[in-house]
Amino acid sequence: MATNPMHQFNVYKIGPEIKINGVDLSFTNSSLFMLLSAVFIFLFLLFGTRQKKIIPGKIQLISEMLYDFITKMINDTAGKKAKPYFPFIFSLFIFVLFCNMIGMLPYSFTVTSHIIVTLAFAMFIFIGVTILGFVIHGFKYLKIFVPSGVPIVLLPIIMIIEIISYLSRPVSLSVRLFANMMAGHTMLKVFGGFVISLGLIAGWLPLTFSVALTGLEILVAFLQAYVFAILTCIYLNDALNLHH
Amino acid sequence: MKKIVGLITFMLFAANNLFAAEAGMPQLDPTYWASQVFWLAIIFSSIYFLIAKIFIPKIKNNIDARESQIRKDIDEANLLKEEADRKLKKYNQLIDEAKINAKKIISEGRKKLNEDLQSKKDQIEKEIQKENELATKDIEKFKISSSNKVNLISEEIVSNIIKEIFGEDLNKSSIKATISEVIKVHKN
Repeated sequence: MATNPMHQFNVYKIGPEIKINGVDLSFTNSSLFMLLSAVFIFLFLLFGTRQKKIIPGKIQLISEMLYDFITKMINDTAGKKAKPYFPFIFSLFIFVLFCNMIGMLPYSFTVTSHIIVTLAFAMFIFIGVTILGFVIHGFKYLKIFVPSGVPIVLLPIIMIIEIISYLSRPVSLSVRLFANMMAGHTMLKVFGGFVISLGLIAGWLPLTFSVALTGLEILVAFLQAYVFAILTCIYLNDALNLHH
Repeated sequence: MKKIVGLITFMLFAANNLFAAEAGMPQLDPTYWASQVFWLAIIFSSIYFLIAKIFIPKIKNNIDARESQIRKDIDEANLLKEEADRKLKKYNQLIDEAKINAKKIISEGRKKLNEDLQSKKDQIEKEIQKENELATKDIEKFKISSSNKVNLISEEIVSNIIKEIFGEDLNKSSIKATISEVIKVHKN
């Protein structure tokens, strides 16, 4: 069973079964790796902020670079109004990044390779941004579906397209992350399996692929966390500064 | 190249078989969906609060502190630079003054020296002139005395010659007059 590339995505409960109103809320391996990511983030930030040096150490430098990186990302995409949401974007990016990166360790579990996790994030962001848009702009927020400078004849079609694209945001946001992580890990597993099954004679070829893919997957892990965060910023920008 | 393509096709085929072995994705199994969302909400919100309340202010404080420290250092450096500039200006001024003074001293010295030289020269020239005059006077005296002596000698010689030739003395005053006339002619 270990050779099944989808086996790594199995969720199983750890410890006692927790049921509230008939809903199974047991602690699973997924929860364990979420917790692990959180602990690693906590430790990273703890060591990154423990010493206040004028000339920073390695971890402090990384934490400050991360801070600058996300500050710049938010300023570039959502402007100054998005400052109150900086902690959320920061947490989102670092959490997704750590989940992705911890998933790269062999025999670990990738939290973000589950559609339900990414969809929960995406729906939270989508609903939050929509509520924010209506709170800030009132019903004028519906203008987001009416781009300016479009001929009246085309307006109904454009509006329908805009509404569909707006509503598909959570789907595209969640599926992008989930599919990237799942595909990458499945491929790694498949090639890893080939190394064993092809043995000494031809096993070196999938092994080479495997090494290359690991590098690629680390890039993808970072890139997808970045894309997730920057798209959140862009959605936030739409709600904060109604541009259309 | 063909071998690689063949191998990849074989791999994909095998992968399909592997997928078929346990149909479906575990991600689409809803058994633990609620659990995952539940634990995600708890863990992510706790991480969010930790980051928002503790870590971001800490990082921000640290960065701000560094920036203010750097600004302070730059200000201090600018202050020091200004002071250094001022000192340099002062120093240059002193050097200029010293140069001017030195020039003055040199020119004064030279002037004095020149004056001294001139006065000494004048004195020496005067002395030389005096000596000169004395010498000229002596020469003049000597000239006169010598010409007188020459006259006398000439007169004696002439009178002796005349005595030898003619055997008689000639009037001495006429000889004298003739000789002085001859000398006068020769002198001119």
